[in-house]
Amino acid sequence: MFFKFLSLQIKTATRSPMWQKNLALNLVIGFFLLLFALYLLMLGLFIHKIMNEMLPHQDHLRVFNGILLYYFLGDLLIRFLMQSLPVLTIESFLHLPVRKGTIIRYMIGRTFFDVLNFLPLFILIPVTFTIVIPHEGGMRASLWISTLIILVLSNNLLVIYLKRLLGVKPAVVGVLGLLFISLIVLDRTNLISLSGISSKGFDYIMHHPVLALLPVCWLIFTYRLQYQFLSKHLYPDEMQKKKAEEIHDRAESRFLKSMGLTGSIISLEFKLYLRNKRTKTILYMAPVFLLYGLIFYPQPIYHKQDGFLLFVGVFMTGGMMLNYANYAFGYESGYFDGLLTKNIDFNRYIHVKYYISVLICTVFYILTIPYLFYGYKILLINTAMYLYNIGVLSFVLLYFATFNKKRIDLSRGGAFNYQGIGAMNWLALLPAFILPLLIYLPFRMSGHPYMGIAFTGFLGILGLFFAKFFIRLITKSFYQRKYIMAGSFREK
Amino acid sequence: MIEIRNLTKIYGTQTVLNIPELKIGKGESFGLVGNNGAGKTTMFRCVLDLIRPNTGTVLSMNNNVANTETWKHYTGSYLDDGFLIDFLTPEEYFRFVADVYQLSAGDLEIFYHDFEDFFNNEVLGKRKLIRNLSSGNRQKIGIAAALMPKPEILVLDEPFNSLDPTTQIRLKTILKSWQKEKEITMLISSHDLNHIKEVCNRIVILHEGIMVQDLVTNPDTLRVLEEYFAVKG
Repeated sequence: MFFKFLSLQIKTATRSPMWQKNLALNLVIGFFLLLFALYLLMLGLFIHKIMNEMLPHQDHLRVFNGILLYYFLGDLLIRFLMQSLPVLTIESFLHLPVRKGTIIRYMIGRTFFDVLNFLPLFILIPVTFTIVIPHEGGMRASLWISTLIILVLSNNLLVIYLKRLLGVKPAVVGVLGLLFISLIVLDRTNLISLSGISSKGFDYIMHHPVLALLPVCWLIFTYRLQYQFLSKHLYPDEMQKKKAEEIHDRAESRFLKSMGLTGSIISLEFKLYLRNKRTKTILYMAPVFLLYGLIFYPQPIYHKQDGFLLFVGVFMTGGMMLNYANYAFGYESGYFDGLLTKNIDFNRYIHVKYYISVLICTVFYILTIPYLFYGYKILLINTAMYLYNIGVLSFVLLYFATFNKKRIDLSRGGAFNYQGIGAMNWLALLPAFILPLLIYLPFRMSGHPYMGIAFTGFLGILGLFFAKFFIRLITKSFYQRKYIMAGSFREK
Repeated sequence: MIEIRNLTKIYGTQTVLNIPELKIGKGESFGLVGNNGAGKTTMFRCVLDLIRPNTGTVLSMNNNVANTETWKHYTGSYLDDGFLIDFLTPEEYFRFVADVYQLSAGDLEIFYHDFEDFFNNEVLGKRKLIRNLSSGNRQKIGIAAALMPKPEILVLDEPFNSLDPTTQIRLKTILKSWQKEKEITMLISSHDLNHIKEVCNRIVILHEGIMVQDLVTNPDTLRVLEEYFAVKG
């Protein structure tokens, strides 16, 4: 039965239109995953040499054991954010004569096949050979590695249990989250030492094999926990944590109302972003765009690399707009037919989309002004990049958006979600990051870097004067491509 | 009102629609029946300029729908879920449609009043997003939105699908009375021969993209339709 389920699952994945259309993208992701695994392997193979260099007089195994607890805690967090709940469409099996236990065992069993369970092995297995065996010999090393693998698997089960619990008892998960945070705080304030506990704990286990039963018990416990939860909640409507969203019908703002159709399009776009999972993830990520500067500005070396600062500037003032404009029509794929059949003046519609792009850039530009703290040059560059974003990049991206050709499923989260992203979307990113540099470089080489920055900004201002013309071009392309867009958006 | 000339749509090697000529007059209620894949939705999409036909044109009041947009002012349509904005509440969606057709708040009030029975207390004031409503209620919203601007031409694809019996009857009443009082031109497709016979005064059978029969509804129509489909089945 297990293998029958597995083959069904593989078929669901490979026969979904997404898979076939995104084969190239899947290959790219697969390649990067392989690359990442390779990096981990290298790290695992050479970590003892690195430790020799950096910490020559310390016991490497103890140092490594000291990190492990942090690793497992971090692993919990990353998994909680990234690992997706495996969805087996149980509806199609519940009415068949299949034992519930079989379904549950399968649902739990297949979570072990997550990439996140395999990646740590790339580092742990080499370390077993390079550090643990030379220190402690084969017997204890095998005890060590099996303990770790068991803990990785327990983490896997625990996180999935917690994620399921989140739908039913969010408070419990919240309390555990607080415990987690207080543990970190206690450690940071040196009240307890997680690294001490960690290195002693793993050391103990190696020297007292009986203690190895502890992680085994933990694994069984997490397994039972999940098994019991699933057997209690094996009803489709309880599996999905679908809370009926209650929407309070607030009166639209009077300001938007006074703008007529323009206002209702703007309010539609706001609701699109606020009420869909995919767009919401992007909103959560928005502060990250702004913090980008904090990573680079405090380090003086970057201040001499103007090209880099240009890039940071474009990204901070335009990152959010980039997402908005790049999928200006793709995000509407769910109701595109409805829009086309209503008497909407699409030239005006695209105008509104442009205004929203400008608005987003402006908000982000204002928020980056405090970076003035790191020198007026930063402000100068960000201002120029802001002008470039609203006067050049927005138009380019909206133009490319008329080449949107994939239905975007707004109900799935946006982090690491490449569904509905086509080659054109990637291509549209080129002008974002390369064009400002190309404009700037000739000036820089002729010894007038500031002229180059000013000229980029000037191009932006120039673009603003031709706004009507550009939008007419975009509208024209929209009308030419609307059948292709509508047709491909209909394909689920 | 609507005139189709030499319309064909080909996907790959398969011709899914081939209508040399079809005229639908003002006030006519035009019913389209046919088995799955007969080309009903394709034809409606051509009429609404949602797909580009391989050859031919659709004229609405003598204007080519592909080159003009005036027809959108007087045409109401609902083909499928893709016409609904599912992250809005029904009220927000209706307000959006009203804004698009430049209807006033008063018009919207009248609309709510007119459709109170049709919604049967299941649509308005629920504080739910359209995506969380049942498919029957979504269908009601789509049909009501199509009727909201009081169109002169109405295009509905299988409107009776997933409606409960009460609503089916109410919809038929609405369609018949609008046709009588407002003389609207209707294009309706359905799998339910009874419904279509009741609502439409002209029925066309589509088979593999070709119009095989063009009937004026009379007491005998249902028998003719049933006979045709019995043989096909």
